[in-house]
Amino acid sequence: MRSAARHPGRERGEMSVSRRAFLTGLALPALLAPGCRRSGSRQTTLRFWNGFTGPDGITMLRIVRRFNAQNPDVNVLVQRTDWATYYNKLFVAGLFGRAPEVFVLHASNILRFARARFLHPVDDLISGPDGLDSHDFDANVWQEVEVDGRHYGVPLDVHILGMYFNRQLFRQAGIQSPPAERAGFLEALRRLTRHPAGGPDQWGFVFTNLSSNVYTVMRQYGGAFFTEDFGRCVMNDARNVAALQFCVDLIRRERVAPPPESFDAWVGFLQGKVATAFEGIYMLADLQKQTELDFGGAPVPQIGPEPAVWANSHTLCLRAGMSGAELQAAWRFVRYLSNNSLDWAAGGQIPVRKSLRQTARFHAMPIQSAFARQIPYVSYLPRVTFTFEFQDELNTAIEKALRGSASPQQALDTATANVNAVIARESKSV
Amino acid sequence: MGVATESAAEPGGTRSLAPARGRALSGYLYLLPYLILFGVFLVLPLLYGLGLSLFRWDMLSTVPARFIGTGNYSEALGSAYFWKALGATFRFVVMAVPLTILLGLLIAVGIEAVPVRRQALYRAAYFLPTLITVTVAGLLWRWFFNSEFGLFNALLAPLGIKVPWLTDTAWAMRSVVIMTLWWTVGGPVVIFLAGLQQIPSHYHEAAALDGANGWQRFRHITLPLLRPVMVFVVIMNVIGAFQVFGQTFMITQGGPELSTRVLVQYIYETAFNNYRMGYAAAMSWLLFALIAGFSLAQVRLLRER
Repeated sequence: MRSAARHPGRERGEMSVSRRAFLTGLALPALLAPGCRRSGSRQTTLRFWNGFTGPDGITMLRIVRRFNAQNPDVNVLVQRTDWATYYNKLFVAGLFGRAPEVFVLHASNILRFARARFLHPVDDLISGPDGLDSHDFDANVWQEVEVDGRHYGVPLDVHILGMYFNRQLFRQAGIQSPPAERAGFLEALRRLTRHPAGGPDQWGFVFTNLSSNVYTVMRQYGGAFFTEDFGRCVMNDARNVAALQFCVDLIRRERVAPPPESFDAWVGFLQGKVATAFEGIYMLADLQKQTELDFGGAPVPQIGPEPAVWANSHTLCLRAGMSGAELQAAWRFVRYLSNNSLDWAAGGQIPVRKSLRQTARFHAMPIQSAFARQIPYVSYLPRVTFTFEFQDELNTAIEKALRGSASPQQALDTATANVNAVIARESKSV
Repeated sequence: MGVATESAAEPGGTRSLAPARGRALSGYLYLLPYLILFGVFLVLPLLYGLGLSLFRWDMLSTVPARFIGTGNYSEALGSAYFWKALGATFRFVVMAVPLTILLGLLIAVGIEAVPVRRQALYRAAYFLPTLITVTVAGLLWRWFFNSEFGLFNALLAPLGIKVPWLTDTAWAMRSVVIMTLWWTVGGPVVIFLAGLQQIPSHYHEAAALDGANGWQRFRHITLPLLRPVMVFVVIMNVIGAFQVFGQTFMITQGGPELSTRVLVQYIYETAFNNYRMGYAAAMSWLLFALIAGFSLAQVRLLRER
């Protein structure tokens, strides 16, 4: 929960594991197992850990079940844990040599897990006889899983930020199509905001996830966060300050967005009181449950001089130290998930494979394909080993600025100093 | 067994040494299962943590743990985040403990005044929220508190009041305390009620005959006789309040602007997001020392003179 609202690196909408869902996750593959043993050959058991505790988990289970049925010599056991505690468990398991054979990492976490030597590089497997075409991944996504010249996982999806909008409110305001650039966006928000006597009852925009939203605008302004060698934090870059100022102005000057609350601001969009929000593709399943809400999806408008949008990727990773049949089985499973990631997309995701996105089936998913148009310019969070400390500082700075308790310059200056203190501390340990 | 030995020894009036020793031994034997669990799951990890707090151990780094003496402690004492978190914890303790005790006592006195047949119903009603997990209770109250779309502000809207329950740095902790009162007051109510029922009614009857009014009886009979119960409730509440985590984590996630990030949450983040185990252990021990100090002071202050 907390991580959900404060770390854009982990999705929201997946609040807790229901016990039944969890048990089903464990039980389903196990039920299939006896049938598979008939082949007589020795069966390889693979543990597959992930944080898909929402509707996405059901989708994933279905795919795994199919894999188990088609591969009698492999038995995949799925364990799903809420993202908020997932990394703790995975890390402790890995530390004491009990890591699962296959597990999901967010791309933003690849660096720290690779540095801790938890991951098996996939380069040989990708280029091997049963490999995958690495050119089928977008270059900017593929490079996110690379550490020191090696790739440490197979990206499964790109969960990208996009603009959800309320069609009904757009119609009422006489707006034909979702705005795509700054002036149109501001104009639309002004028309979509209503402030009658008793106070505002309709907002043009709402900040649901502060950091993914503001990070997107900062990247559009071309702001930098670290020096090339990551030796110093430069988050108080003038372009970041200007981007943050734009966001502050939406609240304070334009008054088209309410002051930031918490994640629950999203409820305002669900209730039809807010016309637009920048949220991840993973919120689609949540929206589709709202039968009365007439919503659409579009790329995030280009507010700054460059196109950019926050994203992250679920990445399939292999435990370090595997070999032989176990490694082959694990790779076969990873490859299967990647090849079948259109099924994954149907549950509210965007597959990372270009060839899959060109299929008619993907084009028939309107929101996914609208959001997917942004993939060429997605922007991942900076890759640092102290990723959570960095994200906390970024979050706090954004929060202070949007709430008006510090100017964008002051807030980012403080955050920069704090992150530089972390860098100094980290460099001492090496 | 122990009881049997005792009753057998007493009529004679002469307690020989052997049965006493047997009694002590069997007592310890009874304690043994608990002592083993207590030792393995509480004392050992505690000591392990104490050792850990003297090391720099970043689980993510491939650099092995390094002994740095009191380095982690001095880092904590020099960290603005540590003091901010401690401040948030203190604000919670100072607000939540007195309110819980007062409200708990008030409700218990109220319940005691109703006919015995109906007491169980009220007791259960007040105790019920305690049984809900913090996850559910927190989620629920977060929705109640939402200033734009929440229940409370919807109820207050006709009066023209809009409270920034969770959006204001001053209000957020108050809101957490309000939720905590609802969630935890049942415990003290049940204990106070048990304490009240132990007070023999003839004390009150005698005082009433002497012309003491209700308040005087409460002040001079009930309160003094409730003292042992009070000591217990206060100490347990203070210990619990210092370890507050679930409510703030669920309702505010430490925000806005870290105003409700309490020490336990900061420790949790240090250990399990940033994997700085030594530093987290040191802060845990600082919190432990603080709680132990407060508890001892309370025992001294509240002990019967």
